[in-house]
Amino acid sequence: MSSKFSGIIQINDLDDFIGPGQECVKPVKLEKKPTKKAGLIQIIDETGLQEAPKPKVQKAKISLDDCLACSGCVTSAETVLINQQSTDELFKIIENNKKHIENQKFCHVKKIIVSISPQSRASLAARYNLDLETCTKKLCGFFKNYFNAEFVFDTTFSREFSLIESEREFVERFRKFQSNSSSVKLPILTSSCPGWICYAEKTHGSFILPYISTVKSPQQVMGSLVKDYLCKNIFDMTPDNIYHVSIMPCYDKKLESSRKEFYNEFHQSKDVDCVLSTIEIESLFQKENIDLSSIQDSDLDLPFSLSKNQISVKKELEKQSLLYNHEGGGSGGYLEHVLINSAKVLFDFDLSRDQIVYKQLRNTDFKEVNLEINGEVKLRFALAYGFRNIQNIVQKIKKNNCHYHYIEIMACPSGCLNGGGQIRDESTNSLSKELFEKVENIYYSVKAQILRDNIFVKSLYESDWLNNDEINLKRNLHTTYHEVEKITNGLSIKW
Amino acid sequence: MLKLVTTLAGHDDMVWCVAWNPKGNLLASCGGDHSVRIWSQKGQNGEEANQWTCRAKLSDGHSRTIRWVSWSPCGKKLATASFDTTIIIWKQKNDFDFEIIANLEGHENEVKCTAWSIDGSFLASCSRDRSVWVWDVSEDEEYECSSVLTSHSQDVKHVLWNPHKNILVSSSYDNSIKMYQQDVDDWINTETLESHQSTVWSCDYNPEGTRLISCSDDKTLKLWKEDPEKKNKSSWSCYSTISGFHNRTIYSVKWSKTNNLIATASADNSIHIFKENESSDANEPTLLLLEHKENAHCQDCNCIDWNPVQNNLLASCSDDGTVKIWKFDE
Repeated sequence: MSSKFSGIIQINDLDDFIGPGQECVKPVKLEKKPTKKAGLIQIIDETGLQEAPKPKVQKAKISLDDCLACSGCVTSAETVLINQQSTDELFKIIENNKKHIENQKFCHVKKIIVSISPQSRASLAARYNLDLETCTKKLCGFFKNYFNAEFVFDTTFSREFSLIESEREFVERFRKFQSNSSSVKLPILTSSCPGWICYAEKTHGSFILPYISTVKSPQQVMGSLVKDYLCKNIFDMTPDNIYHVSIMPCYDKKLESSRKEFYNEFHQSKDVDCVLSTIEIESLFQKENIDLSSIQDSDLDLPFSLSKNQISVKKELEKQSLLYNHEGGGSGGYLEHVLINSAKVLFDFDLSRDQIVYKQLRNTDFKEVNLEINGEVKLRFALAYGFRNIQNIVQKIKKNNCHYHYIEIMACPSGCLNGGGQIRDESTNSLSKELFEKVENIYYSVKAQILRDNIFVKSLYESDWLNNDEINLKRNLHTTYHEVEKITNGLSIKW
Repeated sequence: MLKLVTTLAGHDDMVWCVAWNPKGNLLASCGGDHSVRIWSQKGQNGEEANQWTCRAKLSDGHSRTIRWVSWSPCGKKLATASFDTTIIIWKQKNDFDFEIIANLEGHENEVKCTAWSIDGSFLASCSRDRSVWVWDVSEDEEYECSSVLTSHSQDVKHVLWNPHKNILVSSSYDNSIKMYQQDVDDWINTETLESHQSTVWSCDYNPEGTRLISCSDDKTLKLWKEDPEKKNKSSWSCYSTISGFHNRTIYSVKWSKTNNLIATASADNSIHIFKENESSDANEPTLLLLEHKENAHCQDCNCIDWNPVQNNLLASCSDDGTVKIWKFDE
């Protein structure tokens, strides 16, 4: 089986000469049970011997946690992931729910919530020749009817928080940096790409981590919103009673949702329980013979529209388009948002979008843009997509030779619209230029919204959930990273 | 007749690779003792021409085995590939004085081989991490990664450039050979050559760059040529398999660019020399054995290299810790 992870993860895969299980270097604990008799041979008749009944050996299980804590292969991790985060696993939950309802054990029924990424919506719309609005409505109908999802959210909403936090983080770090605080590192390297984070932690560890933005990705902000905010304030239930599915353009997002940082130990609940890639939704349609265009429409839900004060929400909803986008590219637009905000806040300069001119460097996936005021360069920002460009950036930082202040990093060439989990051309099994452009056009086909215009985002920032203190903000919208120690196993050296 | 000119002792461990500089007056060797040694003739004439001496020892660069050493086409730089996961670029300051000008990091595991493109503007490297990297070499000696190619499914043993064009070739533990070319702003895998039954250890082009010979753990040599007509799948195909000469893994094969001879080095301690059979089909010439040197070394022969100028001179190296220089007269 070929790996579905992004190139960066595959490169990072240290050793996979042998299949998972055999190659895993994690020591597996086996419980020793006392055996009754050693070497028992039973004689049945004169013609032959029968072996003593074989003691049952406990199957060695390696959890994804073990895999993520290990600098070794990800092949094992992939196998584990496929078992834990798949449509099969989701259908098991749905079946269990049905049984619990039959048996009237309603307290065991898990509320299913689906969050879909804008990149996945665009990819599916391109695949089934639908416009974005129709496709989104059909998908909502599908998730509500087939997945029994109670709500379908769009991670464009949670991305607002990721973008706002990125803007704030940069201003704060840049000011500290200017005042010569030695504890502050620049450039800030964006954090929403899980392939890059996994690579950074496993390969460059403590040296690179202080540069990485602490802002949670849109997927994980949605995780906090669903499992923390909505659970406490709207649903009035514990997070383990919700099964949160996210639809992502990227297989590596499964790794992200499995991080310790996004696991609620007390309730034994992950902020995102199951990540499905766009491709997995497509194969489900194929397998189940589902015609997306014939599915009954349904609308996206806004997490905040579930608030008890329905009247004021309705008023706002009329102003607020359900389907919107952010400027600045298919990977979320981190660079442009942070640049425009910084120009204003740090230099009192109104930078408009059309003033942002990218200069292509070594290749199309490596571009820079400077903020120049009165002929003086104030800020140097860059986009670095794909493993080769990430390499050059990391080496530059290592050699103290990197003059950028902010770098939007994505592991996939061309960014998230070209994510490893996006639908491929049927014939070639690759994402052709034509298909990519089609997905891109669909992605940009809805109006972009200016940050902070969203009344729901605003009111959440004013709510206790974020406003109360810095700790809440950090807990709900930021995360931490840790170095993964390298395992040096003499046995694994081959030439 | 293959005659031993001299045996060069000095390395404190097995010797993995030998490489002549473009002028053919310096030989570089490297190995398990983490060092590169530069050898040259004591003098031009008489007895001194047959006496070789170690002119420089390049150490303090790598912390583990140096697996490969290659000269830049200008002859002023060396690229070394090490099991410490790095590549070091050494620049010649004067005759036998080399300094480190770049340390290329990025590979996850042991780097197995490096190769300079014929115009010196690219450096290729490969590793046990299964990737092949292309590095851009700028005029001010900046080395930046221009591509990471992950077409192979296993350890990549060897990289090589076509002698006339910027076409890159890699050989792997996955039994295949792959070719790459530049496409807009990235490199792409254009050909996959499959026929070997086991690891392909290395390969080399004929002087024209139109045919390829490969050597393998399956104890065979294979000859490949391009058929421009066959554009659908792979235009390169194997037209001849040479077996029965080596009885263990063949690690190294070199096609002389001056006299068209082919030399091989094997784990069976022997060196073989072949030439193309003139009486066979000119489009698909077969090989004729000219020389079979048993026990050329007392352990595995790891690498062999034809002198690019003195066309009958050959260098070899071995697990036995020695480098040998040979003279071949047909």
